[in-house]
Amino acid sequence: MTDLMNSKKPQWWKSPDVKKTAILWVICTAIVGYVGTEFHVRSIVEPASETMTGVIDLMRIFTWAASPVAGLVFAICLTVLTSKRHYGDNPPAEADHQISNSPRANAVWIVVSALLCLFALITGLIVLQKDSEAVLESTAIQMNVTGSQWVWSFDYPNGARSEDLYLPVDKPVVFHITSVDVKHSFWIVQMGIKMDANPGAITEAAVTPNKIGVFDIRCAELCGLLHAYMQTKVHVVSQNDYDKWVAEHAALEGRA
Amino acid sequence: MTTLMSKPVSAPGKSVIERLNIVTAVVLGAVSAFVVWRLALQFLPADTEVRLFTREDKITLLSMVAWFIGFMTGIGALVGPFRWVMGKDLSHDENMFLAGKDMGVNRYFRYTTDHKVVGIQYLVITMVIFGIGGILAMLIRTNLGTPEGGWIHPQAYNSIVGTHGIIMIVGTIIMVTGPFGNFIMPIMIGARDMAFPRLNALSFWLIVAAAIPLIWAQFIGGISTGWSAYNPLAGQAPLGMNGYIMFICIFAISTMVAGANITTTIVRMRANGMTWNRTPIFIYGTMASVALALPAFPVFFLSQVMSAMDRALDTSFYNTAGGGSGWLYENLFWIMGHPEVYVILIPAVAALMEMAPVFTRRPLFSFNVAVMGIAGISGLSVLVWAHHMYISGWAPLLNAPFMLTTELISIPTGMLFLVLVGTLWRGRLWMTMPTMSIFALLWNFMIGGITGIYLSDVPADAFLHGSMYVTAHFHYTLMGAGLTGALAALVYWFPKMTGRMFDKKLSWISFWLVQIGFNVAFIGMFTVGLAGQPRRVESYASTFNTGNLITTIGAYTIMVGMLVLLHGVISSWRSGDKAPMNPWQAKTLEWTVPNPIPLENFDVLPTVTSDAYGYGKAKS
Repeated sequence: MTDLMNSKKPQWWKSPDVKKTAILWVICTAIVGYVGTEFHVRSIVEPASETMTGVIDLMRIFTWAASPVAGLVFAICLTVLTSKRHYGDNPPAEADHQISNSPRANAVWIVVSALLCLFALITGLIVLQKDSEAVLESTAIQMNVTGSQWVWSFDYPNGARSEDLYLPVDKPVVFHITSVDVKHSFWIVQMGIKMDANPGAITEAAVTPNKIGVFDIRCAELCGLLHAYMQTKVHVVSQNDYDKWVAEHAALEGRA
Repeated sequence: MTTLMSKPVSAPGKSVIERLNIVTAVVLGAVSAFVVWRLALQFLPADTEVRLFTREDKITLLSMVAWFIGFMTGIGALVGPFRWVMGKDLSHDENMFLAGKDMGVNRYFRYTTDHKVVGIQYLVITMVIFGIGGILAMLIRTNLGTPEGGWIHPQAYNSIVGTHGIIMIVGTIIMVTGPFGNFIMPIMIGARDMAFPRLNALSFWLIVAAAIPLIWAQFIGGISTGWSAYNPLAGQAPLGMNGYIMFICIFAISTMVAGANITTTIVRMRANGMTWNRTPIFIYGTMASVALALPAFPVFFLSQVMSAMDRALDTSFYNTAGGGSGWLYENLFWIMGHPEVYVILIPAVAALMEMAPVFTRRPLFSFNVAVMGIAGISGLSVLVWAHHMYISGWAPLLNAPFMLTTELISIPTGMLFLVLVGTLWRGRLWMTMPTMSIFALLWNFMIGGITGIYLSDVPADAFLHGSMYVTAHFHYTLMGAGLTGALAALVYWFPKMTGRMFDKKLSWISFWLVQIGFNVAFIGMFTVGLAGQPRRVESYASTFNTGNLITTIGAYTIMVGMLVLLHGVISSWRSGDKAPMNPWQAKTLEWTVPNPIPLENFDVLPTVTSDAYGYGKAKS
């Protein structure tokens, strides 16, 4: 990185501004990495599924991977800003060099950014692969989700139907999502999954809730007048409670 | 109709060319719209089907088309082609008249072909657009100050969000290539005018013509679909949607015309000796921006034509019941939408690259890398559109390839960072508002870029998509990076464009207010996004209140900063210090022409023998 200097000079790394930048680089990297990660982890919702934990981990990894680059840019900025500044209406004296290129700095920069890019891509692909396979899980509960202006409704495998979602804990679920009017987007916030509900098509998303509790479902695609109010709750309960609940509700539907 | 000409230029008496101005244009546009509206009302058959509003859609669209044709005729867009068809092409005097020779302030209200007039016209309309878009943003933020929202009706709120979105997008698209691409670029390359001066006037007046349908739309139901106007939602939206459609169609033509014109000018009209290696980097930025618009905007145009046909003629491009698909619209929209963000960003970054050597008194670092970065971004940007559709369910198998292309963009984007920090390194820092804007851009664009990496990642996007996090991210790139560059460009080129220096103190005050307000506002927005607040909601769970309140406070700070800037523009323009010919001691050609700039810029066209970055002391 310090190659930004003229590389022909002997021992360029001994120059004071290079040393200053190097120290600032370490400090900035640590700050960016720590603050960036903490900012995200503290602001983000409590995870209620493995998928969401994965999302948080990805953000942590990406923040730390990006922090040296951001740290370097900020370190150079700080070095420049704390060096001699000129105020006034007339220009300062010319800089005492005419360096207009540094092939080595260019090469290092491009190779490093390509490697970081590759790293981000591979990390993402591994998680993506896992998420995509989850849809094919054969033991999963198959749940039909229908969006309409402006309610969600859920159809359970045994014929039960509700507007609040009930799910058993630690059991994979596959959602088959569609819409009857315009585009909606089915978002179980704390579980980190989202899939658009398209009229005339069925899309799929899968998740395994791993925490008992009540979580949020919101519509994430502007769908008209009451888009902001198109939200409901998902109740993740024990397997027994779930069985009891769906049995009751299937019976209700049967009577209706 | 009075003409404000002091003496007749060509024929005795007033020729048609002399009579036309913005007044005739508005009158003719309004009359045509009214006549067509009456005729359509009278003669269009009533709807026979169950579908509502089809007839009204036809009437609205026809009236708007009539407005458009009437306005463009009234402003004089057809004079040139008409005279040419008649075999009486414009004489030299008439052309000089059209260029605004000796016309004083009236030339700003006519179909004037001088690129400097068009540049000022663009500057003013950009400021008007930002003013209106800013007021709408303040309405949004005020409504979101409390969880219940409440004082704006949801329909109006949705319309405000959509209008804010689309006009800010248009404003940012034209904010650099419009004022500076038209005013500065031809002088910077050593040309007397654009390649097609009449097309230049055309591209500006098309934007004015487009504005009316958008305003009209607000009175017939608004644009309640967000700026993306997804179908089928747009299909069931009120009549105001037609205003959006017409606005986009006319604006797309304007962008295509401007793109063809600017590209041709840069390729064909650079001064003698200005080889590609000696062409300033801002020229590359401008060209990349308008060249990207060339493939993008025809698609946008098309997508809206199909949307109009679905509404008015009962076709089924996007209507599922008739065999269409909303995914088709999404694809067309984002094939425009993703290059479009780089249309906005590249010239703003390139403008700051142009300023960096001037304010550090050293050569631009790695010109070749800068060019490669711009080219790389432009090339990749047409291949990434479906990252907006990761969770649309459209084609899950394409998620991985689009993740690849999207993340690849970080490489050329990184090159732009390298060029900027490389230029700052060991420079003699001359502290001005544009200089600090370089640092502000590096900060904001870094945040915008890194959050973009999370969003480019499919699993992370499954959580973040459609949340306030996305809204904060693209404001960081388009406003934090793009607008920062454009405001710096305004202060930097203000002396050349107006002949007066921009008030230094006001530029600093507005800089800090805008930058601090901006970071407060959108850091707050990131937190509510992470906490799970969706975009485009007019009320939210009370847990999001703190973050939203912070954002609203930040937004008000931005507003104050922008008002200070506006005051700076007006007061400096009216009574600022007279600017010397080259106040920044810069080496590009626009600083070699006197203030005020003569009609055709150069008496003798310049010859270029080196690049414009020969700063710094040579090694002895």
